[in-house]
Amino acid sequence: MPIHEKSLIRPENLTTHDKLEIDGVDVSGHWSTFIESRVLTDYNEALQDEVQALPGGEAVHRCWQCGSCTNACTVNAINPDFNPRYWIYLIRLGMEQELLRDKDIVWQCVSCNKCTHVCPRDVNPEGVMKALAHWLELKGHTARSPSTEFDEEFASQVFETGKIEESRVIRGFFRRTGQPLMQDWLIAMTRRMLRHVPVKLLLAMGLQGLLRPSTRSWGAARGAIRDYVARRERENRRALGLDAAAHQGD
Amino acid sequence: MSKPILVVGAGPAGLAASHALAAVGQPVVLVEKERTLGGAPILSGYAKLVPSGEWAKDAIGAMVQRVEASERIDVRRATRITAFDGSPGAFSASLSDGSQVEVGAAILATGFTHFDSINKPEWGFGLFPDVVTTTQIEQMISSGKGVRCPSDGRKPKRVAVLLCVGSRDRQIGREWCSKICCTVSANIAMEIREELPDCHVYIYYMDIRTFGLYEDRFYWRSQEEFKVKYVKARIAEVTSDGERLVLKGEDTLVKRPITIPFDLVVHAIGMDPSTENPGIAEVFGVALEEHGHIARASTYRDMSATSRPGVLVAGAATGPETIDDSIAQGQAAAMAALSAAGIALRAAG
Ligand SMILES: Cc1cc2nc3c(=O)[nH]c(=O)nc-3n(C[C@H](O)[C@H](O)[C@H](O)COP(=O)(O)OP(=O)(O)OC[C@H]3O[C@@H](n4cnc5c(N)ncnc54)[C@H](O)[C@@H]3O)c2cc1C
Ligand code: SF4
Ligand code: SF4
Ligand code: SF4
Repeated sequence: MPIHEKSLIRPENLTTHDKLEIDGVDVSGHWSTFIESRVLTDYNEALQDEVQALPGGEAVHRCWQCGSCTNACTVNAINPDFNPRYWIYLIRLGMEQELLRDKDIVWQCVSCNKCTHVCPRDVNPEGVMKALAHWLELKGHTARSPSTEFDEEFASQVFETGKIEESRVIRGFFRRTGQPLMQDWLIAMTRRMLRHVPVKLLLAMGLQGLLRPSTRSWGAARGAIRDYVARRERENRRALGLDAAAHQGD
Repeated sequence: MSKPILVVGAGPAGLAASHALAAVGQPVVLVEKERTLGGAPILSGYAKLVPSGEWAKDAIGAMVQRVEASERIDVRRATRITAFDGSPGAFSASLSDGSQVEVGAAILATGFTHFDSINKPEWGFGLFPDVVTTTQIEQMISSGKGVRCPSDGRKPKRVAVLLCVGSRDRQIGREWCSKICCTVSANIAMEIREELPDCHVYIYYMDIRTFGLYEDRFYWRSQEEFKVKYVKARIAEVTSDGERLVLKGEDTLVKRPITIPFDLVVHAIGMDPSTENPGIAEVFGVALEEHGHIARASTYRDMSATSRPGVLVAGAATGPETIDDSIAQGQAAAMAALSAAGIALRAAG
């Protein structure tokens, strides 16, 4: 729902009692409806600092809430709940609870940077979306999902070899998510490929699966990327006041 | 020798007019009701001025010294005008010290009066010691003592500045914008953040009017370099939970009521018409405009003119003005006074 059409009464703030008597008066059902207060009682000043410490979030404090980013936003055109302007405000004033209500759609940003190009104050809203998604993840607000497993499997292969090999990614993903390798759709797809893909290509694919090729002299790059990722991770966690060591094994 | 020009009020506008006249050889009688010259910036102890960043006591102090040093300017302190008669070129003014002066023209540079926050009781001034005005903050800074909570002298951790206190408010009959308080507030917010880096400053606004070149130098800079936070809300009430002040209002951007604790609340007080104006209107026979400021007869052709020929006006006496505009108007009024008094300047050389 577009933000200006949002109801001020939220379903989760409504409470009713099926059976309730107050001073001898039966107020069961909708007679006992209470609407919980939406009053904000404090600002969390650490929130802006934390998001600013993550890559992309540095300029969030510049925003003056003109709404240009939201108006330009690719995703907002499809999902009116996706509102970068609004989240930036919540970050600035430290309205953490309000922000967490949208934790499941922040990641929908497609990094098209239309917002970045219209922003009159150089806030870099696209960067803020990235930093925010990262913040949610680091703070443990986003549950691990199959797509997290997929991403990690994918990334670990890239870091390891400098390239990806599809069948290995799929196998790794199935292993991580505890799925059987023999799945109907996969069997059907493989059958069809055997029928339609040229033999030469099939052979090449099979060979790649067995040999696990990697980019030439990848070793040095692998080390540098590993170091960088580990350092970044450490810095991010420190900025958020999280224990830097605890995450190392992940 | 030509008759002197009477200048009433020794704030930035009156000082500028007096100096401009003296500089072209014209004698001046400068009448100021206070013992000290300099107007609001000196009398109220402002700190660093907008937009120059100069200390008021240095910047305006230099204007005062220049006037005091001039032998063409006859300064009368703690004095008022009790009667004013005649016509352009031949006015006669009676002073409260009993003297009488014959003058060719008069310039009213009588300025403004600070809004008294007591008139907005819902915002806690006079009720809670930690509710103060921008003038008080200016004094805390200019005295070198720093920004502290008056109740116990502690350094505030969170400060709220409420804009438009005594301006833009039909409830109290003040329908004008005081023009400078947005910029002054942004400036004060930066000064607080500079002195107390751990203190968070929030500005509650309806509109931000940092006009012209003040936009990036004050509004943007306060956000970008000093991380001052701006919240679009007109606060409904300032109360206390016994320990800290509590601001109640609505954050209009999230459409949610707020009750937020603060250590110090600052009223960005506006510029009222001078309380002297009814008396001045009577003595000088000049008209006031609808809000109570001295009315200008013309916006363009005779910029400094009042409703009475030969009596001119400059500065915040005409409505909310900045110091630099008041100075420019003082100089313009000096020129207009010369022509009103019929004083022809001999060509130099
Ligand atoms: C909190 C605050 C901060 C501000 N900070 C800035 C700033 O940083 N930069 C800026 O540009 N502007 C600032 N301003 C505005 C500034 O104060 C005015 O622009 C300026 O004072 C106007 O000068 P003036 O000479 O017209 O009037 P005033 O400064 O008001 O001077 C008028 C003089 O006339 C005298 N007087 C009045 N009536 C009589 C009478 N009947 N007889 C004799 N004498 C009389 C008064 O005593 C006074 O000395 C600020 C205003 C406020 C409220
Ligand atoms: S980068 Fe993200 S937030 Fe910005 S316009 Fe594109 S989808 Fe919207
Ligand atoms: S376009 Fe920039 S300044 Fe405007 S609301 Fe978006 S981030 Fe803020
Ligand atoms: S300058 Fe700003 S604070 Fe002052 S009255 Fe105008 S809008 Fe309000």
